[in-house]
Amino acid sequence: MKDLVRMRTSLKEEIEIALNAQVKMESEASQKYLAMASWLDQNGFEHTAAYMYKQSDEEREHGLKIFKYINEVGGAAITPTVGEVQQEFGSMREVFEAALQSEIAVTNAINKIVTKCRQAEDYATEDFMMWYVTEQREEEKNARRALELFDLIDANSPTGKFELDKQIAKIGSAE
Amino acid sequence: MLYDSPDTTLLYETKKGRTWQCDLTDKLFLEFDGMVLAFRVQDFFAFRRRVNKVDILEMIFDLSDDRDFEVIEAPLHNFVHRFALCELIQLRDLLNGTKFSLDLHSMLHEVLGSSYVVLD
Ligand SMILES: [Fe+2]
Ligand SMILES: [Fe+2]
Repeated sequence: MKDLVRMRTSLKEEIEIALNAQVKMESEASQKYLAMASWLDQNGFEHTAAYMYKQSDEEREHGLKIFKYINEVGGAAITPTVGEVQQEFGSMREVFEAALQSEIAVTNAINKIVTKCRQAEDYATEDFMMWYVTEQREEEKNARRALELFDLIDANSPTGKFELDKQIAKIGSAE
Repeated sequence: MLYDSPDTTLLYETKKGRTWQCDLTDKLFLEFDGMVLAFRVQDFFAFRRRVNKVDILEMIFDLSDDRDFEVIEAPLHNFVHRFALCELIQLRDLLNGTKFSLDLHSMLHEVLGSSYVVLD
């Protein structure tokens, strides 16, 4: 008797489920950043708004990359549905704290998938996911740097907010 | 297509139906309540996902008439059918039993390292 399942896909069901869940999480991250971009825009922080719009695009790319991978290896990628995301923030600092929290949650989820891949002996998917491990190191570093800038620049000084907006937007790009 | 020809293997059987695999066409066959459908593996999984997605409890507690049935489509097969609650549960049983059987075969292939496993 032929192994029709294996002939169709190299993905085990639990890995396929975990990857689809990650697609959803990246999609949620994209929507969260979009809402943050809008809030920043509305409050005059045009540089960090642009920074967040870019983050939002990147998160969509992250999700799409996994989405395509699932289909490439014979699984079924499922279009994620995303619920309400936070639209209102008390301050600019609160936005960047939420961003760091979100990145930490993503890192944890990525690590869990890598663990699952090892347990399932799915080394191809593990290899694929290592890109995300590296990416998360960078994402957390950037999110942390933003909060560090709040310690270095006093938001309540005359040009503090203006300066924070400019400096945070530069994170991750060569000066 | 008969399920007892030499190239077919019975996968799962319940009181309401049975599933089998055909190694000539690489298809999975589902016989349920007099209907017979042939699926490619990925379409079978999609069909199972669709059936498993139905919220049975919601159907039970919703008293409106249109919640006594659930319409299930398999677009690739030109298949549309209204399933009553207990039919859905029976169909689920058959589909999930089949999935178990397929996974078990797959696992045996992997562990035994052979391309063919004869179970019967
Ligand atoms: Fe991401
Ligand atoms: Fe991120």
